[in-house]
Amino acid sequence: MKRVQTPITGTLRSYAVQPGDQVSVGQEVAIVESMKMMIPVLAEQDGKVRALVHPLDQLVHEGDTLMELE
Amino acid sequence: MNWKDELDELARRRQLAERMGGPEKVQRQHDSGKLTVRERIERLLDPGSFHEAGAVAGATKYDADGQLIDFRPSNQVVGHGTIDGRPVAIAGDDFTVRGGASDARILEKSLYPEKLAHDLCMPLIRLVDGTGGGGSVKDLEKLGFTYVPRVPGWDTIAENLARVPVIGLALGPVAGLGAARVAATHYSLMVKGLSQIFAAGPPVVAHIGEQVTKEELGGSDIHARNGTVDDEVASEDEAFARTRRFLSYLPRNVYELPARTEPTDDAKRRVEALSIAVPRDTRRVYAMRPIVEAVVDQGSFFEIGKLWGRSVITGLARLDGWPVGVIASDPYHYGGAWTRSSCEKMTRFIDLAQIFHLPIVHLVDVPGFLIGVEAEQAATIRYGVRAMTAIEQSTVPWCTIIVRKCFGVAGAANRPHNRLSLRYAWPSGEWGSLPLAGGIEAAYKAEIEASSDPAAARARIEERLKAVTSPVRTAEPFSIEEIIDPRDTRRVLCEFIRLAAPLRQPGVSQFAARP
Repeated sequence: MKRVQTPITGTLRSYAVQPGDQVSVGQEVAIVESMKMMIPVLAEQDGKVRALVHPLDQLVHEGDTLMELE
Repeated sequence: MNWKDELDELARRRQLAERMGGPEKVQRQHDSGKLTVRERIERLLDPGSFHEAGAVAGATKYDADGQLIDFRPSNQVVGHGTIDGRPVAIAGDDFTVRGGASDARILEKSLYPEKLAHDLCMPLIRLVDGTGGGGSVKDLEKLGFTYVPRVPGWDTIAENLARVPVIGLALGPVAGLGAARVAATHYSLMVKGLSQIFAAGPPVVAHIGEQVTKEELGGSDIHARNGTVDDEVASEDEAFARTRRFLSYLPRNVYELPARTEPTDDAKRRVEALSIAVPRDTRRVYAMRPIVEAVVDQGSFFEIGKLWGRSVITGLARLDGWPVGVIASDPYHYGGAWTRSSCEKMTRFIDLAQIFHLPIVHLVDVPGFLIGVEAEQAATIRYGVRAMTAIEQSTVPWCTIIVRKCFGVAGAANRPHNRLSLRYAWPSGEWGSLPLAGGIEAAYKAEIEASSDPAAARARIEERLKAVTSPVRTAEPFSIEEIIDPRDTRRVLCEFIRLAAPLRQPGVSQFAARP
């Protein structure tokens, strides 16, 4: 399954895309706050966003899936 | 010609050796997407430079008349050749003969490339495919007894790490001793989808209840991301190209110094884009790699370990033609905070630079060690103090550029303190024992709690403190030696390397204890 995982642990602050959007490699798709910085999560695969799976303002752990792609 | 028969016989056996495991096994090697060991060596080395040793070593059968009726070459192709005209020793496993296993290996021959590299002081490249000469239970019937294990030649393998560049390429499923021969190197690579590394493969781990594929057990998705190997590449040719490039920055051995190449870039080149590289908003990140690429000689940055320890970027580069090691923070990963894996990566890289006399350039944006439960569980401070000690033990010239943050104990390791080293800061520099945001509550707890409006009290304190955090004020007591225009970074680095290059000392590096 194609997906976007967070490369860092932190608090998920925002999504930059919505279900149905097309994303491409290197595109900023979410922001995770860590070490007081707003850190962009970049897509590592191309695909269309199927679902945003993680609630905002909650802790995410390194490797957690933030969104599923199709 | 007095010796025609012998020479003809040798030629015939060499021809047999070139068949490797035979057409069927060679076909199988190709069908699995892999080159044969002889094709690998040909593509890796300068054309026509390979001088093979012991091609005719192998297992033989003779008939009653003493005529050779069967020949199976040993499963390692060894010798020396050149890369960019400089000598290298080669140890190439032949998977087509008994899957590279020890029962088709000749011990003396497998030790030869290690000794060749050691005694003739030249780099060693291991092309590992299979068990890399590790034991097989098949040996037991032949021997008639079992044995206490040992790794013949491990002494030379260990000594070589302090003496010559050693590179390990995993070019297939690599288990046991093969895995060790890949990891016991200064630089190692896996080919995505083609290489797997494990102490023991899927059939063995099935006995402990784990049903996994080779790729799930030890693919590059795992090992290029945990630091078992340095990098992952897409093809064998890319692995050979990176091997050649890695060696281009290093001396032939530790008794020589890394060589300068003809400078191809203006040492005084101003980089306009650097004036806007760091955003004023301290919560926003920026890309460090373009900064590194902009300040070193154009096209010279060779990143090592891109997929692991990602809050720190490490790599080789050139400044005004001189090879250097570069360490730089990556704000995209934990804001550049030091993690366990980034500390391990840094320690390994600093050792590489120290062993081969590469001056180090450190571009710093370090908010400190990573904090939080996961960071504590990962034993971050243990690996942090090891990295700090490696920095302190280094004797190669250092130059530090503080790009933005430099906080806490990790920040203090922006340079070694055992000698004067050049250091510059950008005007975006912010530093201290603690960032304001985390420190105010702790330091002013009583004042904030005593106030009728704690939020307002905290805001007043923050304003007071902010007034003194301009980096320019830090220059007043000479706590930062010089704040530069970011656009001049390349100029000061090239000036550093001109001063530092004559200070490099050839020889063997000794490391003292590390915590």
